This record gives sequence, C-alpha cells and structure tokens, in this order.
Amino acid sequence: MAEEQNPTAPPAPAAPTATATPTPAAPPPIYDEAGNELVELTIDGQLIRVPKGTPIYDAITGMGKIIPAMCYHYTFAPFGSCGICLVEVEGKKAPVRSCSSNVAPGMVVRTDTPAIFQARKKGVEKHLSTHPLDCPVCDADGRCELQDMSFAFGVSEVKNVKQKGIPEDRRSLVLDFNMNRCILCAQCINICKDVQQVDALQFHKKDGFTHVVAKGDTALYCEFCGDCLSICPVGAITNKFAKYLYKPWQLVSTATTCGYCADGCEMIVDAKEQEVIRVRSPFSWKSKWGTKEDTLGGHGGICVKGRFGFQHINSAERLMQPLLRHGSGWAPVSWWEATDLVAGRLAEIKAQHGPEAIAGLVSARLTNEELYLFQKFMRTVIGTNQFDGTARYGQSNFTQALQAALGVSRLMNSYEELTLANAILVIGSDLTEANPITALRLKEAMRYYKAKVIVVNPVKTKMAALATHHLAIRPGSEGLFLQGLVRTLLTNNLADPAVEQANPALLETLRSATASWTDEALARATGIEASRFNEIAGLLAAGPRTILLCGEGLLKQPGGYANALTLIEAASLCGALSRPGGGVMALQEENNEQGLIDFGAAPEWLPGPAPITDPTSKLRASALWQAPVPATPGATLTQILERARQGAIKALYIIGENPIETLPSSMRAAEALERVEVLICQEVFMTETAKRAHVILPACTAAEKSGTFTNHEGELRPVARALEPKGESRPDWEIFEEIGMKMAPEFACGSVEELQQEIGRLVPGFPKAPPPRRLEGPPHFAAAHVESVTRRYTQPAVSSLPEHALTLQLIPILYHSGKLSLRADGLTTIYPKGRLAISPQDGERIGAATGAVVRLTAAEGSRPPVNVEVEVQPAVPAGLCLFPEHFNEPPVRELASVSIDKTTGVPYIKRGAVTMQLVTPAPIAPVSANGDGALASAEAAASGETA
Amino acid sequence: MKPFKEWVKQFTFYEILPAMAITLKHLFVRPVTFQYPRERRVLPDTHRGALSLLRYRDGTERCVGCDLCEAACPSRCIKVVSAEVPGKPLVRYATEFYIDMTKCVFCGFCVEACPVNALAMTKLYAYSTENKRDLLFDKAKLYQIGEQYYDDAKAYLVAHNQEKADESAEQYRYKFPTPPRAPQPSHPMTAPPNDQTPA
Repeated sequence: MAEEQNPTAPPAPAAPTATATPTPAAPPPIYDEAGNELVELTIDGQLIRVPKGTPIYDAITGMGKIIPAMCYHYTFAPFGSCGICLVEVEGKKAPVRSCSSNVAPGMVVRTDTPAIFQARKKGVEKHLSTHPLDCPVCDADGRCELQDMSFAFGVSEVKNVKQKGIPEDRRSLVLDFNMNRCILCAQCINICKDVQQVDALQFHKKDGFTHVVAKGDTALYCEFCGDCLSICPVGAITNKFAKYLYKPWQLVSTATTCGYCADGCEMIVDAKEQEVIRVRSPFSWKSKWGTKEDTLGGHGGICVKGRFGFQHINSAERLMQPLLRHGSGWAPVSWWEATDLVAGRLAEIKAQHGPEAIAGLVSARLTNEELYLFQKFMRTVIGTNQFDGTARYGQSNFTQALQAALGVSRLMNSYEELTLANAILVIGSDLTEANPITALRLKEAMRYYKAKVIVVNPVKTKMAALATHHLAIRPGSEGLFLQGLVRTLLTNNLADPAVEQANPALLETLRSATASWTDEALARATGIEASRFNEIAGLLAAGPRTILLCGEGLLKQPGGYANALTLIEAASLCGALSRPGGGVMALQEENNEQGLIDFGAAPEWLPGPAPITDPTSKLRASALWQAPVPATPGATLTQILERARQGAIKALYIIGENPIETLPSSMRAAEALERVEVLICQEVFMTETAKRAHVILPACTAAEKSGTFTNHEGELRPVARALEPKGESRPDWEIFEEIGMKMAPEFACGSVEELQQEIGRLVPGFPKAPPPRRLEGPPHFAAAHVESVTRRYTQPAVSSLPEHALTLQLIPILYHSGKLSLRADGLTTIYPKGRLAISPQDGERIGAATGAVVRLTAAEGSRPPVNVEVEVQPAVPAGLCLFPEHFNEPPVRELASVSIDKTTGVPYIKRGAVTMQLVTPAPIAPVSANGDGALASAEAAASGETA
Repeated sequence: MKPFKEWVKQFTFYEILPAMAITLKHLFVRPVTFQYPRERRVLPDTHRGALSLLRYRDGTERCVGCDLCEAACPSRCIKVVSAEVPGKPLVRYATEFYIDMTKCVFCGFCVEACPVNALAMTKLYAYSTENKRDLLFDKAKLYQIGEQYYDDAKAYLVAHNQEKADESAEQYRYKFPTPPRAPQPSHPMTAPPNDQTPA
C-alpha cells in the first residue's frame, strides 16, 4: 500500500534546490547539510536535487509547477487512486503516476506533453463515465474538482456511461453519503486514519460497487470533525444542515476565529443574506499542495463544534431588543432608554452607597478589546475592582500559580513546539474532547515525530488509547501524582542542573519534604507503581523538548491551585522551563480565558497582564486612563455573590455569565441575584440568570463583531464580522461605551481600531500578543513559594470513600462547550442529553446496562437524589462515574461537593462522591449510539437481567 | 397672367384639392398601423417577453432550484431559495423563486442556463401595473404565467434550440436514485407538490 511507503522517515524537505551543475556520468551519492541523501533528476529540462525517497509529484510541485491530481493531499501519504497526476518518464512506455512513484537518480521527467494531456484527459473521462451529471442539484456544484478537471481538459462528451443508482446513505447524524458521485479517491478515509487517527471510514464492496461507509457498514458515529466533508473533491459527502440550501456563488465568506474553545482555530463562515449557512475550515481539497513541514502550522481543520455548532447565531430565541422588567413580564424599550436607565441607576447607587456597591461578572467569550473596555469601565467609571470573569473557574489557578512561583504572568508554548516536542505529559485533560485541534498536534507528534506522550488520567480516554504511556491513576490523585513525580525526579537525580543551581533552597526543601515518603504509600495513594514513576521521570527529564500540559481535570478539581504549583515545580525540575522548545501549558475550555487575564478583567490583574499590586503598572494604567486605579482589593466571583447575598452589593452587571446555571444551587447564586437592587444582564439568550434581571441588554455573538481572541499559544487570533448584528443586538463594547459615556463623557472609544490603539499604549506590541511567552534562562522560584512547599507536600494518603460510593466527575465533552452549544441544533442533534458514564464493573454490580436509569445520591450531605440514564463505557475505571458538565437536566451537578480555594477563590464544583441504585433496567435490546460500547453494554444487559 | 392665376387659386382654396386627392388615394392603401387593443401583432417565437416557470406534463415542477439562472443573470434580478423535498431524499426544488421584472433586461441568459428547461420566455409583454411591487414576480406568479402561456414558452424553447418539439422534451432530466429501504417519515410541512421521482 502506498501509505506504508515511508512511515518512519524523518520529515523530508521536499522543496528541491535547483542547481546548474551538469550530471556526472556515474553520480556519486550527494548529501545535503543535514546528511540526507539527495537524488539528482531532470524535470522538464531543469536539473534538480531532492531527497531520496521523494515522490515525483512532490519534486514537481516543489519546483512551483502544478500538475492536477484528485486523490493527493500533503497531510497524508500518496494513495494513487485517481490516475490524473500522470507524467512521462524517459525509458517507460506508459505514463507514470507521479504521486506513487519515487524519484531515481538520472530520471528524466516530462510533465507537459500532448501525450500526457491526452492520458490525463482519458483519466478524467473514466471518472466521468460513472459520475452522475446531477451538478445542478449537487451541493459541490461550483466547488468541485471533477468539474474543474472537465473544464481544464475540455471533456464534452463521455462514452460508455454507466450509472450506479445507489440510494443515498443517510444513516449518519450530520453527513450524507451519496456514493453515485464518489470517485473513490479515498481522501476521506486517509484523512480520518492518518491525521485524525479516528479511522471511522472504510471502503466496502456492496451491490457490485465500492462504497465509503462507516466502519462495519453502520451509521457513522465518530468525532464528526467533518474533515472528510471538507476534503471530498466531489459532492459525495454532504452536510445535512446545509444541504440544498446554497450554491457557492450565493455565499459571502468571512474568515474568523472559532468561539468555542481556546484552540483558536480559523474558520470560514459562509453566510447567505445575513444567515449562516455553513462553516468551513481552511483545510479542504483545495489546500492540497504543501510539504510535511506545513503541518507544523496546523492542517487547518476544525472540530465538530466549530463546523456544526453555528445554529445559535441564527436562533429565533436570540434576544433582539433591550428589555425592561415590568412586573412579572418584560417591556421592550429603546437602546437610548435602556442605557440611560442603566447609567442613571449605576450613578445613583455609586453616589449613594459608593463604588463598592457595584459589581460585575464577565464571560470569557468576549473579545480581548471588550474585556479591556469592561475592566476600564469598572475601574475608571465605577471606580471599583469588584468584578470577575469566568477564568475564575480554573484558569486563574494556573496564572496565579505562575505569578506566585516564578513571578511571570503568562507562559506558553507555540503549537509548533507542541508538535515537535519529544515528551509530553498530559494531566487532567481529555484533549480529544475539550481541545480536539490541540489533540491533533499530539497525534501528529506521536505519529510523525515519534514523541512520547504520557497521559495521566483515571479514564482510558481516546488520547490515552493512542498515547505511548497511559497512567490510570486513582481518581482525584492528580496532585499527589505530580508530587510523586517531583520526588522521583529528585531521588533519581534527574533534576535539571541549571534549575538546581538557580534554586538550591527550593530543591533542598522539596527533598526534605518528601524524604519520609515511601514508594508503597505513594503507589497505594495514586495507583502507580514506583517503577512507572521512574520510567516517566526518565522520559520527561531526557527530553530535551518536554512539555507538560494540564487542563480542567487538574485546575478545576479541588486543590487546583496547589496542583498547578506542583506542576510548575515538576516542569522546572525536568528541565522543561529552561530548555528551548519545552514548557508548561494550561488548556482552557472557554475561548478567551487567557485573554480575560491578559487584559485585566479579573480583580487581581491589570492589562498586560500585570498584578494589580505592581506600582509601576498601576501608575501607567492610571496615567493612560486619567483616573486612579482603585485601591480596594476587589472581589472574586464567590465573594461577589456572598456580598450580594448580604446586601452589600446593590447593583450587579453581568455580561454573558450565567452563575445560576453554572454554579450548583448550594452556592445560592439565585438568592444573591434576587437580593440586588439592580441586576443588569447583557446576554445573547434568555438564560436563567437573565430571567432574574431588571434590565436585559441584547448582545451579539462573535460572528457579528470584530476584535481578537487569545488562543492557547497566547497569540491573538482575529475575529471578523461575518454578519450584521441580529435584531437590535449590539457588540458588547458598544454597549459598554454607551453606558460609560453617559456616566463619564471622556470614556468614548470610537471604534475597535481606536480601542486597539489605546490597548497598544498599555500592552506593548498589541495587537501582537503581549509578552512574555517564555522565560529567559532557568526559572527562579520566589522565596514565598519555597515556604509553601512544606504546607503542600504532606504524606501521601489514600482518599477514602464510603463503601460502594463512586467518585462523580463533571467533564467537558467533545460535542458541547459550556452552555452555548446547547443552543446549536447541530450539536444537540449529535449529543442531545447528558448520560452518566459508568464502568462495566459498577454497571454489573448494580445490574445497570446502557440505557438503564439509576438513582444517584450524594454520599455526604442531604441533597435530593437524581435519576439519570447511564451509559456503560469500558474506558471508565471502576469507582468513577462521569457526567457532561454542560447539561443541567438531570441536575447531576447538584451532587458535586463544593469547596472554594483559599488563595485564588476558585470554586471547585466538578467533583463529588455518590452512591448509585438501579431504578429502571435497560431496555432488552440496548441502544448504543456509540459502536464500540455496544458489546460491553450487551454483556452488561445480559448480566443485568440475571441479577 | 400669372399673378391672376395665383390670385384665383388662393381665392378658391385650390390647394385643398391635391391634398384631398392624396387623402382619398390612401383610402385604398393597406394601413401600416393597427388598432392595438382590438388587434394584436403576431410575434415571432423567439420573442423575449415575460419569464415563466414550467411544469412537466404530469404537473411536477421542472425547477430543481440549482440557482444557475441566478448566477447567469447580468442584472441580478433572480433570487432562488432551494431545499430538499422533505421525505424525498435527493429531490431538490425551489422553495422560493423571485424575478424582479423592474430589473430584468430580457437577455434570456437565465433560460439558456437552465439545465431542466424550467424557465422560458413568453410572448406576454403587457403586464404594466399600478403598483411597482407587483413586478416582483414570485414563484406562484411565474407558474401561473407558465400555465397561461405554455405554448408560447415551449415555442420559445424550440426556437432557441433549447429543446426539441417532440416527446424527448417531456423526459425527466435527472434520474434520482431510489430512496433508501427505510422510508423517511413524511414531513407535516409538505404534501410535496413536486414529486420528481420518476414513477
């Protein structure tokens, strides 16, 4: 097979170098600077040198020539099925497929002769002979490679036409497969297998024709990234949501940035008459020419959320005009009235009760410019630090830990470094679910660059199944695992000498704090043997490019701040922070959590980001704003709600944040919101929080405004306006500006561009990313941090649960993001309701199979039990159950125990202990949406019946 | 003598006589004008008048909503909104079809672009109205014109070499594959007016 051609070869620089030297008669082997053997050949009379083993096609495209091909894409190995890339090779009678034959020394290749043109034309005619001429009703019409080829070769008549007459395969939830149009180029299969590494598609011979079907000829249920849809050069794979609604020439395309997670993928929004018809990725069959190095910049794909989760933009449930509470109902008012009222009430409260009676909550889904303007509004116009953002749910732990330990505010690696890393530790993050495009980087690193990926997760996630090492630790022992890793690095003398030299006190303290630990105790508490610790520590320290990744499973779980500190220590000790290409990263679930901190929309940060305690930054900010930065310490999310409950806060301004639906009811957010005198909600949809508001200001979605988002790399990604704001909704910054101007006329900012210029005076380099992204030299830990070591490193203890109690974790899933995606029909079609994932062992114990309903009772406290449908998943270990955090119905989130971090104020609301009883057994024939869980659930169902 | 003759001619209004002679002669000449509302000119088949949408003989809408007419239109007066006939996989039709006759330049490109010969021009030219909005022809209006001036439209297509004046013109242009084994639940929104699957 063609794709087995070169699986282990290093990245082959295919860009050939033209030389003028004549070929010697018996050429000695030629080498480039890197020691790769080169081959010299003649293409169209030009003598070139390319690395040995390069396909002729790559050599030709490397010269800047384009020869047509339909089954070729640079992201995977050549397949050689279309038969269009023919070239003439001297000495060969028949034309040669250039993609699947390699260069040879002294080869003479001609790409542009009349004979070759005729041979290629024959190839196109062969495809057309079985291809239906239903272009007018085909979605690919106007953007079809076969059409382009027919035009290019002037094919006007095709003989021996044979129609397949295959009915369309409509079993999948989002894609339709029309096999009449398929030209069997296998690009969909290859991209799925090689780049996505999901391997969901296959060729299948049926009724005399070859079909592309989901594995096992079932309904396709995969990650639904839609790359197969993008790469299909004809209309064989079509999008159910956009089907027949458009022709490419009717659409207005806008390149913008996806607003779901912080991967910050570029996506192209195709709109027709102010309505989003579909979302495309830059990756498509049109982006086929490139070399392997080009994938370092990403292959350009997007995930299921970006591609199919756009329906909320056109939703009829959107808030269309400002609303004012009128008894129990709402009265629509004009913008002028609404902002007048808000500005008037805020000024009144400020005059009566002081600025500390006003607080704000902001969502990390806003653009950087808006977040900046919001914090400026709160700090200068209102005069308080009493506001917080959704980075408080986790990302604050990481940034504050960086600040406390190393004195830097942001530290991140580029995506390219992630692809090129040698060893990557993933802890507390289910990458393929929460950040699927970053996960592709790791897959690429493993497949092509042979990186070692170590996944530390109790669950055997998809990434764990692909990874070189999977450590199934005990649920909740992530922090202890990291401490054990630090201990192993120290006892095995693997600590980076540069770090040891720079921080002798820290290493000494760490050594003494872990001196009394035993391997056995650590193995009992974490479930990981000492030998595994040694192996992992060796891998990470060997590096040299080591990256440690953490996610919501570490930062949003109890002890998140301490765990982040330990992660930074572990990263420093294994040399990740002192060597180029290494580092430590936190992955964020919401698209702009880092931007929220970078631009100061948190009480402890000023734009830059600079800690608010830093006098120089404070001075600079107040000079620019011509207003003092408030001296009060401000308040975190939970403190704001507490103060509102006590009546200290009279007015609360909530932008895109939804504490009632996010926080469990035990935190009494609803009570707090009902207590405030003025509740202003700036929202896209009528949420539970907005229902309690006194004034609702309709904001617009990211597709309707411009600005920037900050991605995981810390880079700013442009957001472009694809549509006019729906109804009377307005971009958030315009609303801030109008209210601000009515309270203080000098608050005017004009436009996003002027706003960016203003930020540029405070954040050097903006709209480039703010510095720093990496450390200069080895990390230097603060003295206060060294003192905290003894508090954090305590003897490893087994966290005990009552008998038969399970650990409940609320997790993000691939098909949803926050609560926003629940408004996108595409995503609710794929994943309509939350199901509790349990292990086969636990399922067997209580007799529950997939589809059964169980009653969950909190192990501690008196909270009402919750009935929920279960899904038995073999990946889940015994003693753990998982529920998607996006779903409030059934109210499983109420069972999580709540604690608040003492240092960072982060509410930990994602974990609890529950017991489980069977209520209704599964239906006899277990319905499994997921193919791989079917067997296990069938077994569990059988045992459930006997029990 | 001459002045006297002139004087007599003037005095007796002699000029009327040759003029009347011409007038009387024209009583026996075939007229070039005709009495418009009562009499109508015979237009050639190639005449480019109002546009119409056509059906197959069995009443199925020909239009598949491919939007090629919109792409071909130089004055951008056509708007097509298409969808799949619910319950009929692969059968595409135009849910809405608008031609803004105030913008139309009667070039006939849309007819030429139409792959299913659903669009044709008729000999209808008198559709002036008191309300300019009535000149935005919608789908119903276009089909109504198509029914009323069916022969004109067909003659136009034949005259412009778009189709032959025989049975081949009534054949379905696309053979849609048979629907999958499991029948789709019928959609309450549609008792589809356009069953395009060949019987």
